[in-house]
Amino acid sequence: MNKLEKLTYFPGCTLKDTASDFEISGMAVMEALGYVLEELERWNCCGTVFSLTDDDLMHQIGPVRDLIRAQEAGSEEIITLCSMCYATLKRSSLFVNGNQERLDKINAFMNKEIDYEGKVSVHHLLEVLRDRIGWEKVEERVTNPLEGLSVAPFYGCTLLRPQEIAIDDPDAPTVLQDLTQALWATPIDYAYSVECCGAYQVVDHRDVVIERTHRIMSAARRAGADVIVTSCPLCHFNLSDTQKELVRTIPDYEEMPIIYFTQLMALGFGVEAGKIPASLKAKVKRLQTVKGEG
Amino acid sequence: MSKKGLIGGYPAYMRESIEKVEATRSRRLKEGPPPPMSPKEREAILERNHPDYKPEGKRKLALGPSAGEPVPHEVADIIESHSVIDPRAVDLSKVDYDVDVLVIGGGGAGTVAAIFAHEQGIPVDRILIVTKLRHGDCNSIMAQGGIQAADRPQDSPAIHYLDVMGGGHYANKPELVRALVNDAPGIIRWHEDIGVMYDKVDGEYVEAHGGGTSRMRMHSAKDYTGKETFNSIRDQARNLDIPVLEFFPAVELLLDKRGHAAGAVVYNIETEEYRIIRAKATVLATGGFGRIHIQGFPTTNHYGATADGLVMAYRAGANIIDMDSVQYHPTGVAYPAAILGQLATEKLRTQGAMPVNVDGEAFVFPLEPRDVESSAIIEECWVKNNGIETPSGLRGVWLDTPMIDQVHGKGTLKKALAAMWTMWHRHDIDITVDPALVYPTLHYQNGGVEIDANGYTKVPGLFAGGECEGGVHGKNRLMGNSQLDYNVFGRRAGISAGKWAKSAKVDELSLQHVIDYEKELERAGIDTDRKAPIILPDYRPQAVREHTLGHLL
Amino acid sequence: MISEKQEKEMIRIHVMGKTYEVPAGLTIMDAMEYAGYRFTRGAGCRSGFCGACSTVYRYEGDYRLQFALACQETAADGMYLVQLPFTPAPRAKYDIEKINLKENVLLQYYPEIARCVSCNTCTKACPQDIEVMDYIQAALRGDIAKTAELSFDCIQCGLCSMRCPADIKHYHMAQMARRIYGRYMSPVPQHLENRLQEIADGAFDAELDKLVNMSREELEEAYAARVSEEASAGSERSE
Repeated sequence: MNKLEKLTYFPGCTLKDTASDFEISGMAVMEALGYVLEELERWNCCGTVFSLTDDDLMHQIGPVRDLIRAQEAGSEEIITLCSMCYATLKRSSLFVNGNQERLDKINAFMNKEIDYEGKVSVHHLLEVLRDRIGWEKVEERVTNPLEGLSVAPFYGCTLLRPQEIAIDDPDAPTVLQDLTQALWATPIDYAYSVECCGAYQVVDHRDVVIERTHRIMSAARRAGADVIVTSCPLCHFNLSDTQKELVRTIPDYEEMPIIYFTQLMALGFGVEAGKIPASLKAKVKRLQTVKGEG
Repeated sequence: MSKKGLIGGYPAYMRESIEKVEATRSRRLKEGPPPPMSPKEREAILERNHPDYKPEGKRKLALGPSAGEPVPHEVADIIESHSVIDPRAVDLSKVDYDVDVLVIGGGGAGTVAAIFAHEQGIPVDRILIVTKLRHGDCNSIMAQGGIQAADRPQDSPAIHYLDVMGGGHYANKPELVRALVNDAPGIIRWHEDIGVMYDKVDGEYVEAHGGGTSRMRMHSAKDYTGKETFNSIRDQARNLDIPVLEFFPAVELLLDKRGHAAGAVVYNIETEEYRIIRAKATVLATGGFGRIHIQGFPTTNHYGATADGLVMAYRAGANIIDMDSVQYHPTGVAYPAAILGQLATEKLRTQGAMPVNVDGEAFVFPLEPRDVESSAIIEECWVKNNGIETPSGLRGVWLDTPMIDQVHGKGTLKKALAAMWTMWHRHDIDITVDPALVYPTLHYQNGGVEIDANGYTKVPGLFAGGECEGGVHGKNRLMGNSQLDYNVFGRRAGISAGKWAKSAKVDELSLQHVIDYEKELERAGIDTDRKAPIILPDYRPQAVREHTLGHLL
Repeated sequence: MISEKQEKEMIRIHVMGKTYEVPAGLTIMDAMEYAGYRFTRGAGCRSGFCGACSTVYRYEGDYRLQFALACQETAADGMYLVQLPFTPAPRAKYDIEKINLKENVLLQYYPEIARCVSCNTCTKACPQDIEVMDYIQAALRGDIAKTAELSFDCIQCGLCSMRCPADIKHYHMAQMARRIYGRYMSPVPQHLENRLQEIADGAFDAELDKLVNMSREELEEAYAARVSEEASAGSERSE
């Protein structure tokens, strides 16, 4: 077996807890592509939300410390799966990298760590797939083509906004559609793929999130989607959690599976890694049988 | 960061000797340690060097239930002394706390006793722990090396029994030793239930020898065994909501008119008030006596180890046993002076560190029972003059700690003996690189208040467990049996107290025994200003003490 | 401590605002006693295990606060010292028998750990050199084993919790993590269960009855006849 190429990997808290299927499938599909996601030996919570106050260096201590961990590991980059971690770490890196005054202040505070040199860049796994591996390579690994499966990409906010950290065109991204096509599935076009799921409104204004979920899911269904694909654990949580509410309150509401993009890849690669909703597996099998018979 | 004139934490002149230790290390590793002594050789070296065997260190008790027993002068001094209270001035008519089970002492034995009294069905609000410092400022928390339990197929409680009896010079009370060894595996099981993280490899316990054991049965949690076990036990007591009064030492036991134990007079260290606790059963768990510094030795013990329970129980009529025997841990810190007398765990030797002299030569089997090992080190330093002198005029021998990583692989010491590594590292000494200078230190009260196998003392309603009781270890305790003792006899005392409290009734409270003791002092012709229990030692310099105005506020 | 011949070099320390001359080479605790203090609080095991003597100090001319155990750290010239009383910190009550490992149980009992901003102030305050913030982060993501492992050396002095800007009670949470690990994630070896069954069945009773009734001479003989398990450690040589 060929030696796997290493990527310095930052998992984030959610992938170690409620979104473990994201990590498990991510590890497995990357291994199939010849890469190993090597977790930082030490890391802390990215902070989840980037602090918008310009002079608030205290809130950069957490994310910058993770950049230091990468530097300690001899790496000049961090790869994330979670799009929230991506956004926070990326924005932090842009905030301090190359800004000597900010670096000095933060380094002075961190007196138990090595100085951060400002050289670590942050990338999302989708960027690695698109820019380094390429969709052709991804397609080559497909052993279980998802032909006929209609996939609604759901980008949410943090991969695309603000503009300076966007991994794709913030208004008309294609990276999830391109991935979908590489797996032989069909991306569908619907109005809500770059909308916000309602995010932390779920805590105080759950009704806002329920209403949004309803709109997002309905639009995707009207466009013919079989499954929603996302890269954000919070979107995943909000959509799946409030969808249960819709199932309860709306007669004849049919639940739609919501998965991470790595799980879609695992399906296409025929890799058993983590749980995939049984209804989705059944659907794929049915489509393939129909195809075979036709 | 090297301090003035020190190289790797040691003065230059010690370096010459360290070089000799380094030069002989590979030969010693190959040849192994000197052979163990025969029983006759052991007796002889004890006779020649052990502080217990010096007749001038002891006198016979002049009064009380065990009058005529020889004990160290320091023990006789606190026993032959006045009460700290005026028994006639204490108002016994107002009871501040009325409980079923009073536990005196917030260390290992006390906490275990409280938990098991509760398990007997005593509600937690009918139990009270009182302690002079905080709950957990105790010797139990400091134990490093481990706890013995014969749980492997090649071992048995019977083999454990023989090891204990031989180590104790056959002076132990057989039924107590039987209880100790037979309960041991169950204690480990209880610890597992409450979540103690014992060292395991591939799902099996890591079990080692200790001095004087013939089977490997030392269970450990790195070298934080006492901290890990005691903290789990205390956490369990806290989850149960067992009440604890901290900074509230007991200063005298209460009896009732019939002479049954009935609680205690306790003292609020801050407000200086006393409180009356009435209890149907009282458990003595007051620990040992290190802080009275027998024969001037420094000690490994905690700040409150002043044998208060021994004094109070003796006045109340309990017997004491084996108090002539003191455990000096062979390896206390001899240098640097800042941590003089603190413990260098026996686990260092079980893991392969050899005691060696100024010339780098091994002179004793590293795992003799503690009294024998201590005697050999004392002899090497002061009779054979092969010790290393410290800047303050003490002597010690090297414990060749770098051998540990050579035997077990690099990194072993820092992982398995983290507390030890840290202790010296704080003083710039790296014991994976350099040996440590050690000398015997006052460690354990082998004897104490006499109990039976269920923790009963001679006084009805008074129970005892842990270091304050005697008879379990005879004239010398083996490593890993003190942790076991506080669990086994703390538990047994707690169970007995719980059972007793269910049917006991307390008659009118009395301090007559204290008044009577005063008369006995007079009859014995003891004219002294001494007062006991002493509660806490006073380490202020003489000049300061002679210059105070006392409590003016 | 027991008096011994002290070296002549003296240093100046400042204890809660008062200046004293004390011999060099003493621990902070011994130095304070030399200065005339008699502890009723703030002294416990005096060996670095109980966490009673957490001390905060600063050097003359330095803005940084430093942290130590008074019984372990050597007093140095120019130290401004204050001893901290043990600070009350609420601990969660739980039943070790009823822990649901499926949920992030540490976060459930100690929700304030989610307030961690990774400032690392706790780690800087730890006199045991524990990576405190790292174990809080491990707890946050539900990694009980890592929390237990990283916090193992904790002596519960409470300095971390006193310094934490998020008011996290690190040491109580870590104690719970270690107990959960010990109880649920580190199985009991089978040989212990076997031994307990043997004891319950009275398998050793006869032998112990015999030993308990032996004369000293018989015991000495039996003791001398023991064969140690491993020649290299703990074996006995009979005459």
